[in-house]
Amino acid sequence: MKGYLAFLKKELFEYAKTYKLFIMLIIFAVFGITNPLIAKLMPEIVKSFITDGVVITLPEPSAYDAWTQFFKNATQMGLIVMVILFSGVLSSELSKGTLINLLTKGLFRTAVILSKYTCMVLVWTISIVLCFGLTYGYTVYLFPQGETSNLLFSVFCLWLFGLFLLAALLFSATLTGNSYGGLLITGAVVVVCMIMNIIPNVHRYNPISLATDNMGLVLNSIEASSLYSTIMISCLLSLIFVSLSIVIFRKKQL
Amino acid sequence: MGVLEIKQLYKSFGNREVLKGLDMDVPEHSIFGFVGQNGAGKTTTMKIILGLLKPDSGSVTVCGEKVTYGESKANRHIGFLPDVPEFYGYMNPMEYLKLCGEIAGLSKTRIKSKSEELLELVGLKDQKKRIGGFSRGMKQRLGIAQALLNEPKLLICDEPTSALDPIGRKEILDILLAAKGKTTIVFSTHILSDVERICDRIAVLHDGKLALCGTLSEIKERHRLHGFILEFESEETASCFENAEELKQPLISLSRDGSTVKVLMKDCDMDGHFLLGVLSQKRIVPLKFAVMEPTLESLFIEVVR
Repeated sequence: MKGYLAFLKKELFEYAKTYKLFIMLIIFAVFGITNPLIAKLMPEIVKSFITDGVVITLPEPSAYDAWTQFFKNATQMGLIVMVILFSGVLSSELSKGTLINLLTKGLFRTAVILSKYTCMVLVWTISIVLCFGLTYGYTVYLFPQGETSNLLFSVFCLWLFGLFLLAALLFSATLTGNSYGGLLITGAVVVVCMIMNIIPNVHRYNPISLATDNMGLVLNSIEASSLYSTIMISCLLSLIFVSLSIVIFRKKQL
Repeated sequence: MGVLEIKQLYKSFGNREVLKGLDMDVPEHSIFGFVGQNGAGKTTTMKIILGLLKPDSGSVTVCGEKVTYGESKANRHIGFLPDVPEFYGYMNPMEYLKLCGEIAGLSKTRIKSKSEELLELVGLKDQKKRIGGFSRGMKQRLGIAQALLNEPKLLICDEPTSALDPIGRKEILDILLAAKGKTTIVFSTHILSDVERICDRIAVLHDGKLALCGTLSEIKERHRLHGFILEFESEETASCFENAEELKQPLISLSRDGSTVKVLMKDCDMDGHFLLGVLSQKRIVPLKFAVMEPTLESLFIEVVR
């Protein structure tokens, strides 16, 4: 436990000192601010491109558009940035050998994996909360009349998908021991999830639904309860990934 | 009972056998020189002691505690200095030692006092800059500081001096000597002069086993050549001695270089008295009469060949 806390502190310190935390926060803050703005300005932007003679009727932008932007940016760019930023989570320490000193000091390998996962989850949580907070504030300001349903639940689903992705990343990084391998396997996990989604019955249990059904939830076209099994499965899979990481890391020859 | 005991250790990588039944015993408060060629298996042995590699068979005990692969509890008795110690470049030495101390479970005040003491010892006391900008020698010194932080009973150093300039090497060796009273040091190297300078015991690893093991004086005694070096005033006296009838025996080989004669005796019963007898018979007083000491280098080459 002592080792876990000490190493967690080191991880946070590392993210702060190597600007990774800063990059994550900046990117998610920019998303947070621009989501409602783009929704508001989109009709104007489109209008400026329209030449004479073409008539396009654009619906009045609403809070829904802001949230569409939010879920699009956070799920696509946001998650990709996060995965790339964290791809060296284990490989850089393994290849440089910085872990050797600490492991021979009596740091348990389980503590290494757990604190690394905790730290990634923390950074992801702070980023998504920041992004959500900014988008929420601006949306309320720009579209006061907008009404949404299941908004918090929908963001929670997205957050949970981030956790699932981080667990997959940690697992693949531990398995391959280098950052490209980690990225590759994580990418493969996402692709497999996407392909599985084609099968109608699988959709209910597929973790990727957590990142694709968000707008449906907000628009109330998807029932919140339909995602409960997906949430269970995602939690379970994340747990399995993290446990497997521990098992593999404990057996790894350094 | 020794601080470190290794019994019948086997390890192979693929089909290359590195360790073939290594037995080693390191007594307390010694500086143990672990010598071997490049690729002899020194680092492998050390990593097994630290539980970083899994041995194929055999057992390792540190301070009476068995080493288990993966999460080795015996590690709390050990301080380790890797051949090229790597640190987090964004920290300064104090921050790094603090992290190590927290992991080792030391109290805050203890970490602070111990860090200051050790940074003083290794000469990095006023170093506030980040480790990222450190030279190799400075990293090596910080490596020793972190290894000694939890006051280990056993300090393992993997080739601590190999990549350093002469001054850096001397500094590291002096630090190790200073640490001798408090801990047992196992230190691998292929620089034999370092071994002679600080070690009291050595072991030579060759072909997966210890080819030679014991205290330095013991080993030298055991491998003493029955040879003498005699130096004379002039070449004539030297050749006069060389051509003495008594020395014309198959068991004695002589070689002369100017006024110096080397005598090697293959018969163990014959010794210096015999030569002294010859000298007094011939009424020659040599300038120098010396017993040939085996050098560590000659021993090493002999063993490894």
